[in-house]
Amino acid sequence: MGRYFVKRVLGTIPLLLVISFLIFMFIHLIPGDPVRNMAGREATTEELENLRESMGFNKPLYQQYFSYLNDLVHGDLGISYKTKLPVSEMMIGRLKPTLKLTFFATLWSTIVGIAIGVLSAVNRGKLIDYLGMLIAISGISIPGFWLGLVMIQIFSVKLGWVPTGGLDTWRSYILPSITLGCGIMAILARFSRSSMLDSLGEDYVRTARAKGQRERLVILRHAFRNSLVQVVTVIGLQIGGLLAGSVLIETVFTIPGLGRLLVDSLAFRDYKVVQALLLFFSFEYILINLIVDLLYGVLNPRIRLK
Amino acid sequence: MYKRKILFVFIFLTVFAFAAQGLLTVSAQSDNAAKAPDQDLVIAFNNDIRALDPHNVSDTLTISATRTMYESLVKFNEKQEIVPLLAESYEISDDGMTYTFHLRSGVLFHDGTEFNSDAVKANIDRCKDESLRQNRIVKQIANAEYPDPYTVILTLAKPNNTFLNKMTMFDFIAPATIAAGEEKILREPCGTGPYTFKDRVEGDHVTVVPFEKYWDGAPQVASLTFKAVPEDGARVAMLQTGEADYIYPMPTTQIKVVEGKKDILIDAKTSNIMRYVTLNTELEQLKDKRVRQAINYAVDKDAYIKTVFNGYASKVYSCYPETIQYYAPQPPYDFNLEKAKALMKEAGAENGFKLTIWGDNITSEEKGMQFIQQQLKQIGIDVDVMPMEANVVAEKIQAERDKAEVNMWYVNWSASSFDADGAIRAILHGESIPPGQYNSAYYNNEEVNKLMDEALAITDPKILQEKYARIQEIVWDDAPWIFLASDQVISGYKSYCSGIQLYPDGAIDCSKAKLN
Repeated sequence: MGRYFVKRVLGTIPLLLVISFLIFMFIHLIPGDPVRNMAGREATTEELENLRESMGFNKPLYQQYFSYLNDLVHGDLGISYKTKLPVSEMMIGRLKPTLKLTFFATLWSTIVGIAIGVLSAVNRGKLIDYLGMLIAISGISIPGFWLGLVMIQIFSVKLGWVPTGGLDTWRSYILPSITLGCGIMAILARFSRSSMLDSLGEDYVRTARAKGQRERLVILRHAFRNSLVQVVTVIGLQIGGLLAGSVLIETVFTIPGLGRLLVDSLAFRDYKVVQALLLFFSFEYILINLIVDLLYGVLNPRIRLK
Repeated sequence: MYKRKILFVFIFLTVFAFAAQGLLTVSAQSDNAAKAPDQDLVIAFNNDIRALDPHNVSDTLTISATRTMYESLVKFNEKQEIVPLLAESYEISDDGMTYTFHLRSGVLFHDGTEFNSDAVKANIDRCKDESLRQNRIVKQIANAEYPDPYTVILTLAKPNNTFLNKMTMFDFIAPATIAAGEEKILREPCGTGPYTFKDRVEGDHVTVVPFEKYWDGAPQVASLTFKAVPEDGARVAMLQTGEADYIYPMPTTQIKVVEGKKDILIDAKTSNIMRYVTLNTELEQLKDKRVRQAINYAVDKDAYIKTVFNGYASKVYSCYPETIQYYAPQPPYDFNLEKAKALMKEAGAENGFKLTIWGDNITSEEKGMQFIQQQLKQIGIDVDVMPMEANVVAEKIQAERDKAEVNMWYVNWSASSFDADGAIRAILHGESIPPGQYNSAYYNNEEVNKLMDEALAITDPKILQEKYARIQEIVWDDAPWIFLASDQVISGYKSYCSGIQLYPDGAIDCSKAKLN
């Protein structure tokens, strides 16, 4: 498995190179001019030209790309046009809140989502099943943005239990984690239910029951473990999305995370930040997919990685 | 079985709805106690703070933050008059070429060094760098003399009546910090202002604390934090819970909901923002002045202010708002459909025509454009609303003149230093026609151009008033725009806050802030 891992990681390098090229071209080809955003509207043509020259925007695009690539190889992500701070420093600063939030949101939504899914599957067609699926449908249907604002009104403004936003104390994590995790909980509940139902219909479950094993063991050891492969895939994809930051949740709860950074930087045409973020998100997706692949082998020994 | 399920779902939803309703209507806490819970003043803004380099800032929010730590030679007071700050007094020569500033003595930078003419020199020298925004001020100076530690004589290359206004934007950094380079300026701001830098979390907040040795007496709060809260609802909620003591901007849609409740007060005043729609005067349909006047008569400005700004905007009677220097109100284009139709007929356009309107794709701007669309329909003008991302509009506006596609542009302009030239040059001067600047009406009136250029060299306020009044009269009559309104700057704050000044450009002065 070690060799497989190294091979896969090395395999990402050419992929990232292609991605870096695509990102660079896209961001430079869409309309917009960071120089105008930096200089403000009152800037004269001459001032704009001076700034453009000093930023190297007058050079041909391919030269700009190679200089970007050169910096990238040397671990230099550049300086943000907007804050004049190093992009790497900004990203690390923004990654922390996003990571914390992702962790808590994933934690609760995975536990609750899978629990609802399993309970619904086991009690198929019964009240618990309908209740579970009602929660799941609500979780998917309620827009996070709206839910966040309503919860702020109830729990922060009216009841005063938790802060409206920020990530200063442990209490400030509660509302954003709940809001962010709702959708994932719902998806996981649906997936684990259907995956569990599939497993429950398998021959080995019938065999286990025929052997006279206790129902709890049949469900947990045989059906549940086998149903996890699909569920893990879904969790992987969802975490990937979460790490790219949830712009809406970060905006509603005033969290300085990666998602907000990406949107703000795009609006400003802060090329260096956008390039670095998109490259990071691509890498992170590749990495998570790799971890998911490795987990398959752990969960189901029949799957061998070559 | 099926009925039971339905019943169950129904009961569940009903209970949920009642629970939510109950929580939402928990009675508001008693509003008697209007006492500050602590001495840490928190101001919530709608944007992130950018680079903390006073010589390179362009947005008002960052200026509000840097102004707590930095000061200029002169500043605007609350009546929009220029008054001395780090200069105790100043003189301008009759020819408008030489400015002599007498510096205030006993002023210290946060690093303990003294503010004097050497410090002024270090700052002026730094801004000779063309990539810095404040280079546009220093560029005007042909010669700078520093005869003694408290006198600075600046001679301009050519007279410019906006120079003093621009100097209100020129802040002074401690020479040692300048010498240490940009990195130091960004991370450890050091000026003469009432507050010293404490910490910054990029994307979240900047905190400053009072400078005990401030020449005008240290501020009375324990700390001051500028927090970025982009979501309107969240910002208002923070004010309600007291997590923020002061918020700007206060969304107009929420004013009625919160005003007077939970000790919340509202401060609304006329801004320096001009709202208008440029009418491409080179376009066949809009070439005739009468058509453009008809368009102005066809738009009901009262309704516009009510619909788009919930009433929180002021009517305009000139091409710039009253907060700008040398303002001269003109006879209004009062809503008058008969007159509008008559003018259209006179111009031979009674059958109407088609136009497009461009603008940013944000809700309030789209609402504004749709309003214009409805209004112009009344005189037969069929408007196609085209909202676009801000960068896309900016790029399309900057097209080469012979390839210009713009018909109407729904936009706003604010002159950051409140000078008349700044309020019109980049948007109405013939030389500001795109590409380059923003005169997307392609308005080119020789007399207006000439008056603008002449005025720059004049220092006599009386003559300036005449010149700028004439410009406003001509522009108003030529109607290269639909003159819409002027936004109001609106803040919301807890009643225990005092001494916080909100300026017409949205800048916030906290030097005298108090939490009672």
